[in-house]
Amino acid sequence: MSADLSTELVTYSNLALYSAMAVFTVAMLLFAFHLAALGPEKMDRSVAASRPRKPALVGAAEGGGSDLDSDADLPAGDLPSGGGPDDEPETSLRARKMAGMAIMVSWLGTLLVVSSVVMRGLAVMRPPWGNMFEFAVAGAAAVALAFCILVRRNHWEWLGLFVIGPVLLTLGLALFAFYTEAAELVPALKSVWLVIHVTVAILAVGVLTIGFSVGIVYLVKKRREESPSDRRNFMETLPSAARLERTAYGLNMVGFILWTFTLIAGAIWAQKAWSSYWTWDPKEVWTFVIWVVYAAYMHARATAGWEPRKAMTIALVGYVCVILNFTLVNLVFTGLHSYSGLK
Amino acid sequence: MSTRTTPQTPAPPETAPSTPSSPPPRGPITQPRLGPLGWARWAWRQLTSMRTALFLLLLLSVGAVPGSIFPQRSIDAVKVTDYIVAHATSGPILDRLGFFDVYASPWFSAIYLLLVVSLIGCIVPRSRIHWHTLRSKPPRAPKRLERLDEHVTFTYAGEPAQVLEAARKLLRRQRFRVVVNADDSVSAENGYLRETGNLVFHIAICVIIVGVAIGHLFSFRGDVIVTEGEAFSSTVSSYNSVIPGPLTNLDQLPPFTIDLQKLDVKFEEQARGAQLGAPREFTAHVQTTEKPGDQPQQQTISPNHPITLDGTEVFLLGNGYAPVVTVKDTKGHVLYSQATPFLAQDNNYTSTGAIKVGSARPKQLAFSGFFLPTAEPTYANGPVSIFPDDQNPELALSIWEGDLYPGGRPQSVYTLNTAQLSQVTKADGSPLLIRLKPGQTFTLPGDRGTISFDSVARWAGLSARVDPGQGLTLAAALLTLLGLLATLLVRRRRVFVRAVAAPDDPSDAPATGPAEALAIRRADGADMHTHSQPSRAGEVSAAGAIPRTVVTIGGLAKNADPGLGTLLIRLRDELT
Repeated sequence: MSADLSTELVTYSNLALYSAMAVFTVAMLLFAFHLAALGPEKMDRSVAASRPRKPALVGAAEGGGSDLDSDADLPAGDLPSGGGPDDEPETSLRARKMAGMAIMVSWLGTLLVVSSVVMRGLAVMRPPWGNMFEFAVAGAAAVALAFCILVRRNHWEWLGLFVIGPVLLTLGLALFAFYTEAAELVPALKSVWLVIHVTVAILAVGVLTIGFSVGIVYLVKKRREESPSDRRNFMETLPSAARLERTAYGLNMVGFILWTFTLIAGAIWAQKAWSSYWTWDPKEVWTFVIWVVYAAYMHARATAGWEPRKAMTIALVGYVCVILNFTLVNLVFTGLHSYSGLK
Repeated sequence: MSTRTTPQTPAPPETAPSTPSSPPPRGPITQPRLGPLGWARWAWRQLTSMRTALFLLLLLSVGAVPGSIFPQRSIDAVKVTDYIVAHATSGPILDRLGFFDVYASPWFSAIYLLLVVSLIGCIVPRSRIHWHTLRSKPPRAPKRLERLDEHVTFTYAGEPAQVLEAARKLLRRQRFRVVVNADDSVSAENGYLRETGNLVFHIAICVIIVGVAIGHLFSFRGDVIVTEGEAFSSTVSSYNSVIPGPLTNLDQLPPFTIDLQKLDVKFEEQARGAQLGAPREFTAHVQTTEKPGDQPQQQTISPNHPITLDGTEVFLLGNGYAPVVTVKDTKGHVLYSQATPFLAQDNNYTSTGAIKVGSARPKQLAFSGFFLPTAEPTYANGPVSIFPDDQNPELALSIWEGDLYPGGRPQSVYTLNTAQLSQVTKADGSPLLIRLKPGQTFTLPGDRGTISFDSVARWAGLSARVDPGQGLTLAAALLTLLGLLATLLVRRRRVFVRAVAAPDDPSDAPATGPAEALAIRRADGADMHTHSQPSRAGEVSAAGAIPRTVVTIGGLAKNADPGLGTLLIRLRDELT
């Protein structure tokens, strides 16, 4: 590929990123309006939203739809599709309109980010996640795409603000703090394992990000359920805390599996590239720490007698470690994973 | 994951079996006393409790962190020394506490060893239980399936035996383990793989640790710097540094040879900013033999592409420049002529090194200083290189003479021990600095001869590794992944079907269908026989001659299982 074309592609790629940021800002506002419009007018909504799980089967029997089919707890493949979420409160027309627009705009932003990633990849003729900037953009693209695909089926409109917000933040950081010139890779990164290890790492971080967002919402909702306030707001129309907890668990579980794979693939690559599969390099240490923390979360959640809230706290700590692993470890600690592209 | 013993409150210490029979203690002692066995049991129960395991897991994650904050001896011993020097107070304390060898420190080892013991204490009883479960039949159906969290009731057009047989076949097809009980019920269970996966995961974690231990005990690492045109044959003494494991037999190193013909290196020249000068290619073209006398093989070594020679993997881990220097005495006799590796100090390969001419007389002669692949010509900030490739190579050396090897002690080849050396100065007493470009010769003052910089060669840092544990570790790691997938994705479910012949009155047992099942459940507690389906009356009477059976399907899951209800509905639909 000629240098001119390559430079041009990079220009367009960056242009797409800036546009995506503008579009996502709009999407975020729309999602915020959606939440605001959710504020219930009738008391019985809060009752419906926090209805205990037990009678769920009634709903399932009615029309095949209930909180069962909108549950992210397990791969949705074996669940019946279709059928309205009968136990969910009626959302106002305004809120639905807002959500519809927000999702459309999110799709636009997502397509822009994805095209930016693709153009960058074409410009450098390699998987475009070889430095911190590219990793962040690819991760944001993965999160946004996953969210856009899943939002309708799982009735995640309420989650939009909490997903598109971090995506926007990530893109901003990538462009203004981590930006790196498009270039070829250093020899240590020229490996098929870049595709395997880093792609799965991106997916894992993406899933864990959404899991983190849901986890936070769960904690807030839980507190609200325990001490209901007279001033009702959109919180009442969110799914019940128990369901939020299951959704977060499902996401964290998938993230944990992907992270385990990342860890193993990383070790295999390290053996090829650095001659030893494990050297306690700072990145390895933190990848391990994250794995152990999420493992602790899985155990805590599986333990009878542990409050789900306490278990969720561990998961949130795990995500904080993910963020530290990406920022602090890349930029402050010196180690073998010095691929930030920044000096 | 949930069957691990989880005391809600701390388990009370058990008294030893002998204590109750002994006479009651006199005096103020009021607590029951524990025999050694009792204490051991108590400690074991504490250690293997989920609470402790969780605590140890969290402790492990916290304990691992210091290793990423403080420099580690295993990675960079020089940095550790620098750190201790720079932190005169805290440095030695941290050192004593093992903060520079975190992953070999007693406290870190204690955490993971306790965790392993706890793990084994969990795996063994659970494996036993699971073994029995695997060989036993699903339990008998509870009397009242309506009391289970998930259940559906419907009427079936046929005999109880028919519907039970149909249910058995259906559940079998869905990979359930099924028994038909004598009391007109069917018990079925599946998802045994969940617990199997869980145990595989935990056992594999232990195997990983075994693999790591084998690797540690029997591994070998030998590092060597080979310059272009040089050949290297693997023996213990020929490596620059050798790190064997405690039980490695160094006599059995494979006797391979590597002849480095050329090292191809490329750096980024086009991109701007931080990427300028970033490495782009390192390829070592080598000729190898696995054993002496073998036919030489032409091979290349590059990052991510090590070669394997007789079970030893050889990696290209470093590179640098080795200026070819010749030193002659005043009569023109060659005292020294070889490529001398200099070690890079920064990303632009500003390199330092030493040339030791032990054969110079009357005093031994030495040069130390810098090699700059692309010299910044003004030396405004001292000798530095401004690009990693050799675009404007230059040597900047100071001259020393005296005793090179005071006391005959071993010393680094890259630095001078100047204890017994004095620097050769200009006539005015200021230090003499020689700047040489390739092809240039400098005549040393005071009849000391000449030094010439002939050409620039490169060196490759090769690392030979043997880790007999890594295959086991890899296999175990992949098993943990499989185990994890089974644990988290497979669901353990029990399904029970109970069939009771319906009373004869057809109007009492309306034809089956989702609406009916719903109506029945809606009655909530009264359970059956709602008469609120007048629209179906016609159908009912038309089908009146067929015997009817009231069927209840109940489901039981180990954990929250949103799919179970759906499964029951599907079973019902398939049966009707």
